[in-house]
Amino acid sequence: MAKNVGGGGGSDLEEFYVRYYVGHKGKHGHEFLEFEFRPDGQLRYANNSNYKNDNMIRKEVFVSLAVLRECRRIVVNSEITKEDDNNWPLPVRVGRQELEIVMGNEHISFSTSKVGSLLDVEASRDPEGLRTFYYLVQDLKCLVFSLISMHFKIKPIHPVAAPIFDNLKKWAEAYYVCYLTKPRTAP
Amino acid sequence: MAANDEAVDFDDDDLMDEDGQEAEAVSVPKLRSTITGGAGEASNVARKIKGRGFRQEAGADRGARFGGRDFDSLDSDGGPGPLKSIEGWIVLVTGVHEEAQEDDLHNSFREFGQIKNLHLNLDRRTGFVKGYALIEYESFEEANAAIRSLNGTELLTQTIYVDWAFSNGPSRRRNTRRRSPRRRSRSPPRRY
Repeated sequence: MAKNVGGGGGSDLEEFYVRYYVGHKGKHGHEFLEFEFRPDGQLRYANNSNYKNDNMIRKEVFVSLAVLRECRRIVVNSEITKEDDNNWPLPVRVGRQELEIVMGNEHISFSTSKVGSLLDVEASRDPEGLRTFYYLVQDLKCLVFSLISMHFKIKPIHPVAAPIFDNLKKWAEAYYVCYLTKPRTAP
Repeated sequence: MAANDEAVDFDDDDLMDEDGQEAEAVSVPKLRSTITGGAGEASNVARKIKGRGFRQEAGADRGARFGGRDFDSLDSDGGPGPLKSIEGWIVLVTGVHEEAQEDDLHNSFREFGQIKNLHLNLDRRTGFVKGYALIEYESFEEANAAIRSLNGTELLTQTIYVDWAFSNGPSRRRNTRRRSPRRRSRSPPRRY
């Protein structure tokens, strides 16, 4: 309950920055998804899949301070800055994730391999830390996908049921890649 | 010349700042953060840094991913104020109760116009509502009325905050701030 209180402890949005990257290099080239919230409110989103000659989607839009605050609240409540990526699986060519956050005087830049499911999390050397990372990334993606899909009308919307059924995660990922890489908007 | 000085060139900064500090290479971020505006200004602020990202040549191609200028965006005049989305106006609701249902939001928000789209996202760990919702109205007037009427009101015992989700331009103008010490004339002496 307390975690729903707005603001997220402190109004210092001056140096708030978040960037997330997930990608791999394989037979379809460098496929990745990346987004960032910049301190001035600019949200940038890039999604590249070379599968079947899909091309890069790059979207950018300025979000309001209210959105930045909510994003910050999600990050603060996750307590990700208390974690460390020392004992997380090393990023590899076929799967890497990066999470960079600047918040006040803290700056983290974590990287690890792709985490397919909670089983991977539990089997790692730092399940607690990796779990924090795993859920934060999903919550951030969820926010970004909603913002981008509502603003630009890239459809369809990500499945809401995924969080409840963890084993749907992989399917959900495939779903994003399949559909979010094909812009159906024709401006 | 002044313009040259103001342009933040990270490579030059690197050469100057890290000259003769090779021993500290491990703790000094090798990667330039992609926060082009913020990083330059904040470089003299002591930050606690943590993570492999500072030690790896991880994002060598990061510039290629985000460096380009070819990002799609909807037309905007760059000024302050809300921005129209492709099919309507989006408002953000925060402080949403974790057990709220879409119906609860519909009931409150449809009073101001037809809700064209609603996202009530869930916390991936708990499965409860994350605490925010995004709601789309067709017209500016409907969205504006919802914001004015419902911001600060109570929904399921919690105070909700309602505001625009998108903005026409940056929430603050970094360039102005960076430049201002040069341009601004000296403050007049304080009068007592």
